Amino acid sequence: MSVDVAELNSETSSGLGLGAAKRSVTVAVAGNPNSGKSTLINALAGTRLHVGNWPGVTVEKKEALFSFDGKEVKLVDLPGTYSLSPYTQEEIIARDYLVHERPDVIINVVDATNLERNLYLTVQLMELGIPMVMALNIYDEAEQKGYRIDVKAMEQMLGMTIIPTVATKKVGLQDLLDAALEAAADPARRPKELRYGEDLEAAAAAVEKAVIGAHHGLVERYPKRWLAFKITEGDERVLSEVNLGGIDAIVKHATAHLAEVHESDMETLMADARYAQAAGLTREVLRKPESKKKELTEKIDRIVLNRFLGIPIFLAAMWLMFKLTFDVSTPFVDWIDAMTAGPFKRWMEVLLGFVGASDWMVSLATDGVIAGVGFVLVFVPVIFAMMFFITFLEGSGYMARAAFVMDRAMHAMGLHGKSFIPMLLGFGCNVPAVYATRTLENQRDKALTALLIPLMSCGARLPVYVVFIGVFFSAYAGTVLWSLYVMGIALAVLMGIIFKRTLFKGDAPMFIMELPPYRMPSFRSLMIHTWEKGKHFLIKAGTYILAVSILVWFLLNLPWGVEQRKDSYLGRMGQVIAPVLEPLGFGTWEAASSLVSGLIAKEIVVGTMGEIYVPKAEEEKKNIPTFAEDAKEVGTSFIGAIRDSAVNVVSGIGISSITAQESLNEQEERSPLREVIKDQFTPLSAYAFITFVLLYMPCVVVAIAMKQEFGTWKWFGIAFAYQMVLAWVVAFGIYQGGRLLGLS
Amino acid sequence: MIPLGLLGTEERAEIMEVREDKRCVLTSVGSNSQRSCQDRIEDMGVRVGKIVEVLSNGGRGPILLKVDESRIAMGRGIAMKILVRRSEK
Repeated sequence: MSVDVAELNSETSSGLGLGAAKRSVTVAVAGNPNSGKSTLINALAGTRLHVGNWPGVTVEKKEALFSFDGKEVKLVDLPGTYSLSPYTQEEIIARDYLVHERPDVIINVVDATNLERNLYLTVQLMELGIPMVMALNIYDEAEQKGYRIDVKAMEQMLGMTIIPTVATKKVGLQDLLDAALEAAADPARRPKELRYGEDLEAAAAAVEKAVIGAHHGLVERYPKRWLAFKITEGDERVLSEVNLGGIDAIVKHATAHLAEVHESDMETLMADARYAQAAGLTREVLRKPESKKKELTEKIDRIVLNRFLGIPIFLAAMWLMFKLTFDVSTPFVDWIDAMTAGPFKRWMEVLLGFVGASDWMVSLATDGVIAGVGFVLVFVPVIFAMMFFITFLEGSGYMARAAFVMDRAMHAMGLHGKSFIPMLLGFGCNVPAVYATRTLENQRDKALTALLIPLMSCGARLPVYVVFIGVFFSAYAGTVLWSLYVMGIALAVLMGIIFKRTLFKGDAPMFIMELPPYRMPSFRSLMIHTWEKGKHFLIKAGTYILAVSILVWFLLNLPWGVEQRKDSYLGRMGQVIAPVLEPLGFGTWEAASSLVSGLIAKEIVVGTMGEIYVPKAEEEKKNIPTFAEDAKEVGTSFIGAIRDSAVNVVSGIGISSITAQESLNEQEERSPLREVIKDQFTPLSAYAFITFVLLYMPCVVVAIAMKQEFGTWKWFGIAFAYQMVLAWVVAFGIYQGGRLLGLS
Repeated sequence: MIPLGLLGTEERAEIMEVREDKRCVLTSVGSNSQRSCQDRIEDMGVRVGKIVEVLSNGGRGPILLKVDESRIAMGRGIAMKILVRRSEK
């Protein structure tokens, strides 16, 4: 234990500015959102970029390790922030890193076309006393607009090297790295200490003397000037970190004069002083021509955000996105489906046969693992395709507009425009939708959005609807299907109104967002971000699904030697639950057991029904293909899938036509199940049943996603409870109400 | 002085006062310290003394502003708490 501590200490001390002797140089990249920071990092790091998460949170962390000029360089991308206040996760991450990890140098990326606001962050970064260089980015656009920036004067005023850069064209990046390494090599060369006016400086000096003078340890842990100002302005995060007794009295005494003269609190005074510095600097160095010319972004926005055209354009964009998602992914979905049901299953059987595995092991591996994991893999193409289009919409700048356009409609459920994006994703799959709530800034909006997402009818519920609609409502299939989606949305609005008045009483949704200029995202960044979004699903969902598939298999096959499904653990569970479902019109153990298995992923309901209802007929011995035939099939059908996918996009067949057709074909094949369902359900109980499937608890993967996003089971617990009640009540209303009306 | 939310599209004005909305708060992660939405928009450059141009105000729903070179969208509630003085045409 003591060794660990010693190591830790030596690391901290080397981080505190003995940089000259170190071989590796840590470079932190900080800047505003939309300053081109991401592009700059991508350009600097190239393929060496590693994308992960900041510990304990779901904010993206990008890092790269490479050598430059004979030195090891570690590049760390800090989250884009407007300020270093402690109020958003991004801000806290950025400042904790800068304060506690003490990088050797900061590259501050500044949008040259929006100098003043960017300098506000620069001023705050300068307080930290870490060597710094500035990338005056998007310099080409600033020049095009006729801006004249006096870089030399700015360098002098700020005490740092400033390199004009154009990250998109890789201009100035070499010079930037050179300057950064040079600054890192000479820790004495710190940015200038900007003065915030006599009164504030005097107050901070008094605090410094009283607090820091008495606690020398603090000076080693914090930049002195920064700490003094943070204590003066009453930064609660710093105050709780340093945790000094009697600090309030000291601060109160030091700021007594200020409080007397000004009416504002210290935090506002400090913010104003910093902003005054940024504004003053901008006035000194920037000359811009009077221009009334409308920019392209504004011209596009006039149409896209138009009061009448905005929503139709948005709906068209969404329709196109869904269509493309399904067009591109459906052939791959079918391919994976066919592969897991066919060759992979056979290969596994053969393989296990070789090692002499017993029948139950073969069954576990094929019916349990391959079938279960197959269910998840089937969604991979859909999710990646959808994430690709979403990334495109985000990167191009349109997603922010969609939030703007939808803001008003979302207010009905106590949410705002930004929540619309995650909810929309929910129609594809609730899992990425829950992950997407991380774009929302405050906890209230995040939690409320995540609670409502499961009411968006996801793709996994579709197979269940299709089976029942095919049996009972084939004459008006479209209308019935549509009614389920609409019911989900209507209930989301209703629940939103209820939650707004109960759980989230008094808080207003907060809609503040910057609309970035329209840009064409690069293919590379599209790929990186699509992968990052999809990866979560692939890894986390995959592992849990695997575990639960095995569990369900055991539940269906235990106790040992169980002959009847009814007597298996799952069957017994069904028997226990069935009476509760009796008033809903489907109180059989078979239906109940299927619903239990649907907790993993709702489409499993159909699979389980197939297993339970259809008596185990001896599979007729077909010609079993050889390994070579199988392998060939895997390859050719994959190529076929690529071709179909391309053809779909070009030909522009509607999604509804494809999926409906596919699904109908699929359920034709399950005709034995169809017969049983016809006997066991009436049209009324069937509709109550699919309503129940729409509404009852979110699947296990959503549960995991919610736990990951919020760090607690609380919100999932609430979602679970309200959905169970809602599902029961609505299904009860439909069944009993229908019977009163004389339906059956 | 009138609330920013009442300006029409393409109107320009100077911000005179940014008032706090007690109902609209940001809660800090991992602690209970809170901050109003107004502080947040001030960080984004919407501050007293700034000349803003309304890019979109449909009478209902959110409004879109141009401040310096950034386009900031905000809910109507927040915009009604910002007092401005119309600039001469």
